[in-house]
Amino acid sequence: MGRLRQKGKAGAAKAYVTRSAAIKKLQCSLADFRRLCILKGIFPREPRSRKRANKGSSAPTSFYYAKDIAYLAHEPVLKKLREHKTFAKKLARALGRGEWTDAKNLEENKPVYRLDHIIKERYPTFVDAVRDIDDGLSMVFLFASLPSNPRLPPSLIENCARLAAEWQLYVMHTKSLRKTFLSIKGIYYQAEVLDQTVTWLVPYQFTQNIPADVDVRVMLTFLELYQTLLGFVFFKLYTDAGLVYPPPLDAKKDEGGAGVGAFSLQSASHAAAPAPSNTKAAVEIDGRKISGKDVRQAIKSMTETESESAGQATTAPAESMDVDEEFVPHQSSSDPQTTSTLTTLKALTALPQSLTTSLFSPYTFYLSRETSRPIFEFIVRSFGGRIGWPSSSGSGSPIEETDESITHIIIDRPLVERTNETAEERERRLRRKYVQPQWVVDCVNAGKILLEEPYAQGNTLPPHLSPFGEYMGAYDPTQELGGQAGEDSASEDEDANDAASLRAAELAAEVAGVDFGTFEKEARKSRKKAKAAAVQGEEEGEQDMNKMLMSNKQKKLYEKIKYSEKKKASERAKLESRRKEVKRQESKAA
Amino acid sequence: MAPDPKPTTKKRKAPRDDGPAEDTPAFLAPTETLEMLTDDEGADDAASDDGEVDEFPEIDAESDSEDEDFFEGSEEDEEDGENADSDDSMDRDIFPKPKTIISDITGQPKRVYPEIEPEYDSDSSTEETQNRVGNVPMHWYDELPHVGYDMDGKMVLRPARGDELDKFLQTVDDPSSWTSAFDKTAQMDKPLSAEELDIIRRLYANEVPDAGYDPYEPMTEWFTGKGKEEVMPISSAPEPKRRWVPSKWEKQKVMKIVRAIRQGRIVPSKPKTTSKLEFYAIWNEPSTSQAPPLPAPKPRLPTNSESYNPPEEYLPTDAERAEWEALDREDRERDYLPKKYPSLRLVPAYDQFIQERFSRQLDLYLAPRIQRVKLNIDPNTLIPKLPSPQSLRPFPNYKSLKFAHAGRARSISVSADGAWVVSGDESGVVSLWEVNVGREVKRWKFQGKIGALEWCPRTDVSYFVVGTEETLHFVVPPNLPSSVLLATQNLLAPTSLPPAPETPSPVKWATPPTSSWSPDNIILTVQLPPSSGLTKQISWHRRGDYMATVSSAGTQGGVWMHQITRRHSQAPFKKIRGSVQLVLFHPLKPHFFVATQQYVRIYNLSEQKLLKTLMPGIKWISSMDVHPSGDHLIVGGYDRKLCWFDLELSDKPYKVLRYHTRAIRSLAFHPTYPLFASSSDDGAIQVFHSRVYNDLMTDPLIVPLKILRGHTVKEGLGVLEVKWCARQPWLVSGGADGTVGLWCS
Repeated sequence: MGRLRQKGKAGAAKAYVTRSAAIKKLQCSLADFRRLCILKGIFPREPRSRKRANKGSSAPTSFYYAKDIAYLAHEPVLKKLREHKTFAKKLARALGRGEWTDAKNLEENKPVYRLDHIIKERYPTFVDAVRDIDDGLSMVFLFASLPSNPRLPPSLIENCARLAAEWQLYVMHTKSLRKTFLSIKGIYYQAEVLDQTVTWLVPYQFTQNIPADVDVRVMLTFLELYQTLLGFVFFKLYTDAGLVYPPPLDAKKDEGGAGVGAFSLQSASHAAAPAPSNTKAAVEIDGRKISGKDVRQAIKSMTETESESAGQATTAPAESMDVDEEFVPHQSSSDPQTTSTLTTLKALTALPQSLTTSLFSPYTFYLSRETSRPIFEFIVRSFGGRIGWPSSSGSGSPIEETDESITHIIIDRPLVERTNETAEERERRLRRKYVQPQWVVDCVNAGKILLEEPYAQGNTLPPHLSPFGEYMGAYDPTQELGGQAGEDSASEDEDANDAASLRAAELAAEVAGVDFGTFEKEARKSRKKAKAAAVQGEEEGEQDMNKMLMSNKQKKLYEKIKYSEKKKASERAKLESRRKEVKRQESKAA
Repeated sequence: MAPDPKPTTKKRKAPRDDGPAEDTPAFLAPTETLEMLTDDEGADDAASDDGEVDEFPEIDAESDSEDEDFFEGSEEDEEDGENADSDDSMDRDIFPKPKTIISDITGQPKRVYPEIEPEYDSDSSTEETQNRVGNVPMHWYDELPHVGYDMDGKMVLRPARGDELDKFLQTVDDPSSWTSAFDKTAQMDKPLSAEELDIIRRLYANEVPDAGYDPYEPMTEWFTGKGKEEVMPISSAPEPKRRWVPSKWEKQKVMKIVRAIRQGRIVPSKPKTTSKLEFYAIWNEPSTSQAPPLPAPKPRLPTNSESYNPPEEYLPTDAERAEWEALDREDRERDYLPKKYPSLRLVPAYDQFIQERFSRQLDLYLAPRIQRVKLNIDPNTLIPKLPSPQSLRPFPNYKSLKFAHAGRARSISVSADGAWVVSGDESGVVSLWEVNVGREVKRWKFQGKIGALEWCPRTDVSYFVVGTEETLHFVVPPNLPSSVLLATQNLLAPTSLPPAPETPSPVKWATPPTSSWSPDNIILTVQLPPSSGLTKQISWHRRGDYMATVSSAGTQGGVWMHQITRRHSQAPFKKIRGSVQLVLFHPLKPHFFVATQQYVRIYNLSEQKLLKTLMPGIKWISSMDVHPSGDHLIVGGYDRKLCWFDLELSDKPYKVLRYHTRAIRSLAFHPTYPLFASSSDDGAIQVFHSRVYNDLMTDPLIVPLKILRGHTVKEGLGVLEVKWCARQPWLVSGGADGTVGLWCS
């Protein structure tokens, strides 16, 4: 006889825990548990049988893997959270007693958790991390545009803005932007980094306010994780691209609203130089006399430099060799269009550059003051173009409006008659091309320079389509409607089989006042339709009979697929019919 | 020391200084003050007699001698003492003698004291009025109009007091009013003296109330100081070593800290903790072999309709917009409405931006994730590929003729040669008609409903059995060849009856006399036991000698087995579980199928035991037929299911089909063609091709061939019975609408 099986000792009852059970086990508050789940990326699971997992109860709860929770129990962050709890108690007590120095001391030694181990754990390889930065980038770009308030300290906003600028700098530097889409929700960008497509959404430049029904704590916890993740990812990206991270910020330019231009990209070859020399010196000293103290000191200095230059010690020799071999001065990193021609070998190997990445390199743009500078500066510079802007859009414009090299003006206002313009101005205006902002984005998505005429100032713009495509078989607005042509061409081999009924119908049509040509067309169409329907009906009947022999599971699956197909088809048909209608109205109006 | 009334202030003095007491409005003083005053009064009452203000002997801590000086120097004090003495003596000596006189009123003698004449030097003579109620607690008179009695026993009335306005005016007029207090004894406000004010101030400042008290006197050294040293030590223990040797433990502690500082574990002036994280090359060291967690699904990419300038056809109509707005946010298919802006500068901020980010985050940490394999299959591949029905001809596909009954044609049967059909309806009419032309040859009328009809499967004889209420009628059709007729008559009504069985049966076999034999009359009737109800089914054995009937009621499940040659009936089951729906003989083996409501049991008749129980999983079995090979059984139920059993395989169905929209009523295998048909209450007949292979490894092939429609559904009942013609792929069906149709290929 086998061992008696007790209920709730194995299987789903053991593998899953409810959320309240998890909180009880971890001995933390719900808020702390939520924070841990966000940071560690633990999410509820759907057991196959909820009843079995919940020991017979069918109450609505969320389930977690018991193993996930067991791992959480050993999490250093959880320990820190507990320490923080005691710290908060101590601080409250000190403040209540008016012990200000104690409170200050406590505040200084406040327990702070670090997330680097979590980053490493969640993303064991760099590619994993790059694959998952979409949400992080969207969040950082959102928070960079938020106004600060007591919940959102200015330092946080600043850090987000810095991260956003760093990412844009990197994308511009490596020319990895691929697609852009101006949507009603914001601007979607898609870049290709390490063969991973990274898509992020940037809101339009308006002040956003956090609505009341949004839990800011959750957002801030996510933001905390994303900031750390992006910091590490950017560090790796920058160092791999041979740049210094973080890029130094020019405070004066930043004050002037230079935006991305306030940061300057520096080649890592300068910064990496002192690190090996330091270690070399230590070795020389070791050669002379070796004492425990010296060794200790040397180790200490080494670890320091390592932490300083962030682990370049391991890769230092190879990197320095690289630098020696093909050292390219990236001196004017503030305008990368000059350095774009001098890409390093590494960059070439890392990113297979297509022709489209230097799409705008022959052109120089100038922004009109009503266009958004951050958007178009980023797009144009990512594709190798030069761009300038008026001082009202921020400082740091590399070119003036009067510059002779300007080929395009990006302008977004209606056309007005110019009465008082000098001959020189007029001549300049005629030489330049005035395009609406959509032209830039459509060029980027098309991968080629489009004709400027449809996008000229004051023209009604052609529709702006998503470069990301839709599902297979979806309605494609770029394609011509081909239904009518096929119908017309296929109407040859029909013979009047029921002449009597045809004649009757003809008479009826004549009474109704329909002219003969249209009637004939209609009749032909209906006849053909009837014939096709008969054939199809037969086929379908057989198919229907064969459906009897499907298993229940197959039948359900079949119904499901058919349902979705039908839905998609109806969607498509709706759009097509509406397009026809629009066309008809247009032709009527014309 | 000269007696100075002002500095040696006591409350006693105040009335004398202040003059008229009656005029001053009295105010209510707290009782505590009153008590204190009355206590005070007692002490000073004596002293006040001589009008001298005596200084309270101050406890001066200067020296004893001084104190002595003080007493010596004060002659007045001496005097005071004398005065006190004299006061006492006066009380004794000067107290007036009362005169005893006869009262005018009462006529009784009474003592009358003389009026007290105040002497010139007495204090009271100079004073206006003095409250002389004596040492009496003043609160006794709190609620009385007077405050006590004077020495003459006369009431001392409470001095008149002004109202609040007077009081206020008083405070305005009198600058010293804020430093005055109510004197209970005098019943008026008295200004406080400077000394009293000083005491109040001291009490207020938490000082010793006595101005003369010095809390910081120089210490008197009794045991220390020069010449007073202790010569003997308190303890003779030697001085411990720890007093003069540096502590080793302390050194260890300090060294520990020093070492920690040297090693850099303790930073003496540690900078305060920074929340800023230093970034480093985290992916430089090799990662663990652990598989990374599944990445979160990426958010959906935007489509054309989300463009700021979409094509015209994406814009919603007003109706669609209203519908979208009427829906709850959760129910909306899309979380936005397409909108068109003529220019980029006109695009506003998206008001749902933060909500959408937030809901994405909620999805990330609150939503359970399931890994789903995306099925990218053509749904038509799911439909089994079967041979085309056209290649499986012949099968019935059209209705060639129709025969009408008045009632529901519940039972039909086709003769063994396939040329004749008998059909019975619920009104008791049985018609015999030809298959080829549909002409009715003969009609019989029975009492009550016709429950079942069945031709005998033998070809050398020709008759059929009609089951009505509790009776089976054996009918011989007309126009038979004489040899067949004779054989039939011999079989059903032999001249010499077989011997009666040993055990008498409740079933009666009766043959009318030979003289009355005619095609109209019944040649043989079998009377089932009474109250056995309508005969639901008649089932023949292949040989045509045995026949089983199922009645709707009765004992032993209503199953009877009749042997024609022996004219004998018996109940095969003593008792049976469940109500028997149908019975069938196995075509080849001595097996017997019994379908109860949910199960089909197979019995071996020769061994008289249960072989197998089939579980079709049908709620209520309605019909059943066995394949001519005997290896397959189909069972249909009122719950629309049809189960195909491979009897060799298992007691669970090989295939369960559910294609009729209403209950299955009847099932029939064709005896020679690989066909079977099912009829249902939805008015349709479904014809299947069913090929059964001899090879055990090959599954039977079932192909739906044709749905025959033509019967109308009446009162929820459709096609009640289907039967095949023996030698043709033709089908005969009887419907609830009273028609019997013949379906030809």
